[in-house]
Amino acid sequence: MTANTAVIQIEQLSKTYQRSRKEQVDALKGLNLTIQQGEIFGYLGPNGAGKTTTIRLLLDLIRPTTGRVLLFGEDARANSVALHRRIGFLPGELNLWKGYTGQQVLDYVGKLRGGVDAAYVRQLVDRLQFDPTLKVRTYSSGNKRKLGLVLALMNRADLLIMDEPTGGLDPLMQQIFNELMLDVKAEGRTVFLSSHVLSEVQAICDRVGILRGGELKAVESVSNLMHADFQWVTLHFREPVAANALAQVVGVSEVQALPDGLRLRLVGDFDPLLRALAPYYVTGMVTEEPTLEEVFLTYYSGTSGKEATR
Amino acid sequence: MNGVIFTETLRRSWKQIVWWGGSMAVLGFYIAVVVPTMDTLKQYADLMASMPTAVFKLLGVNDAAAIATPEGFISFSYFGYALLILAVWAVWAGMNITANEEDEGILDVVLALPVPRWRVVVEKFAAYALIAVGIALISLPGLVLGLNNSALKISTPKLVASTVNLIPGLLLMLALTAFVGAWARRKSTALAVTSTIIVASYFADFIGRNGSGLLNDVLRALSFFSYYDSMGVMTNGLNGGNVLLLLLLAALLVVGSVWCFQRRDVGV
Repeated sequence: MTANTAVIQIEQLSKTYQRSRKEQVDALKGLNLTIQQGEIFGYLGPNGAGKTTTIRLLLDLIRPTTGRVLLFGEDARANSVALHRRIGFLPGELNLWKGYTGQQVLDYVGKLRGGVDAAYVRQLVDRLQFDPTLKVRTYSSGNKRKLGLVLALMNRADLLIMDEPTGGLDPLMQQIFNELMLDVKAEGRTVFLSSHVLSEVQAICDRVGILRGGELKAVESVSNLMHADFQWVTLHFREPVAANALAQVVGVSEVQALPDGLRLRLVGDFDPLLRALAPYYVTGMVTEEPTLEEVFLTYYSGTSGKEATR
Repeated sequence: MNGVIFTETLRRSWKQIVWWGGSMAVLGFYIAVVVPTMDTLKQYADLMASMPTAVFKLLGVNDAAAIATPEGFISFSYFGYALLILAVWAVWAGMNITANEEDEGILDVVLALPVPRWRVVVEKFAAYALIAVGIALISLPGLVLGLNNSALKISTPKLVASTVNLIPGLLLMLALTAFVGAWARRKSTALAVTSTIIVASYFADFIGRNGSGLLNDVLRALSFFSYYDSMGVMTNGLNGGNVLLLLLLAALLVVGSVWCFQRRDVGV
């Protein structure tokens, strides 16, 4: 691999599943994507968009219908075994030998990797506050996730591929996960993670790609995307308030009447809205982050996330 | 790392040698001691002879008079069924080569490691093959001990040959299950197909033995049970040709398993 070689290079990658004799499903359509060394790349999209299919193709668990994947400049299929030495993987749904203890799983996977740094594994176990003495079948989803993270990180891989890595982790552990990923990045290693959690992506990713219906709709840096950010605000009032009462407020748009209040889209600061609310008795206020899809659509349409599914 | 899967499979499954081998040893012991005198054996053979021919052929006996000999009795009542009983283990073990872990999603984790697919098949097969040998060998002392406490006298080399004769059949069923699992992906499909093939093979042998003619010959030729031939081995010793044929078929099925598993999508 030369200095300029991409860590992941996906070229015209397609995958069609034969569901039955007559039915075919195009899970991925002509995907092109390049990820450079040291990046944390967020791969986003709704269920069924093709995220897991992409990850399985990267790992040579499934074979492409067309196109190819290069990892570190080498064909992911022809050189899969050698490449897997440089990859750490966390599947979306981690299934392991239920009768093993966490430690037995760590030992076995360590041996299959040809040996790992036991002190580093111990450090990861401690940092994630994971108890490896219990049987896998007794672990909660959060603890299974911790075990999966240790397995993915144990070989200090040059490339980490993670499918929904923080599902089941409590907020404290999510914070530790973010720190771990930033440590990985600081060491010049690369992370490819699928997610649907905006805050996670915002916190750690450099770039994100959004996938929908098997097609990559956009790839953008997180900092650019966040300029298109907005919030949904739901206001509850003691007395009815007309929708047009707030329509002229700076940053407010798409005001919808609710049985006991209003729902609106707010771009920018809260102050103009709060000042405009002064004459009314507000009984409650709820803010919601836009979905990533809404952020993307906003960014690319330049106006609204209205089309996006909520 | 070479041998890690082999070692781990052995570590996880060695107790089967004790359980299955021990159970077969107890069965062999029981069958041997249940006939206290040669008179009992003769009465047993007479009972068989009084049955319609098709019935005792269904039970795996070609000649009722042969059962009146110690060799005939043991090969009929123990070795005649031992392979069928151990088929349950062989199918279970064969499913563990790829089908079970694929069905449970565990293979995703294993194959994302620097582990070539062929090694999963070959190392697991080798481990279970060793366990099969262990099961067969552990079963032998029970039979020997039982015969020492019975009126039946059979030379130990004949018992050893008959016990060793279980191994090629076991390996074939293990390889068959591994192959179907590697080809079919779905655990339920693999289980159904393999069980059907084994049962069909047993009945092909039975129907083949129940008559003469081209169809019967073809059916027997297609059934691996006819190459197992427990009665023939007890009487004449191991048939090298049959043993080699079963081992060759097992080897081909292992190669086929690797070929199928290497080429297809995993876990979809």
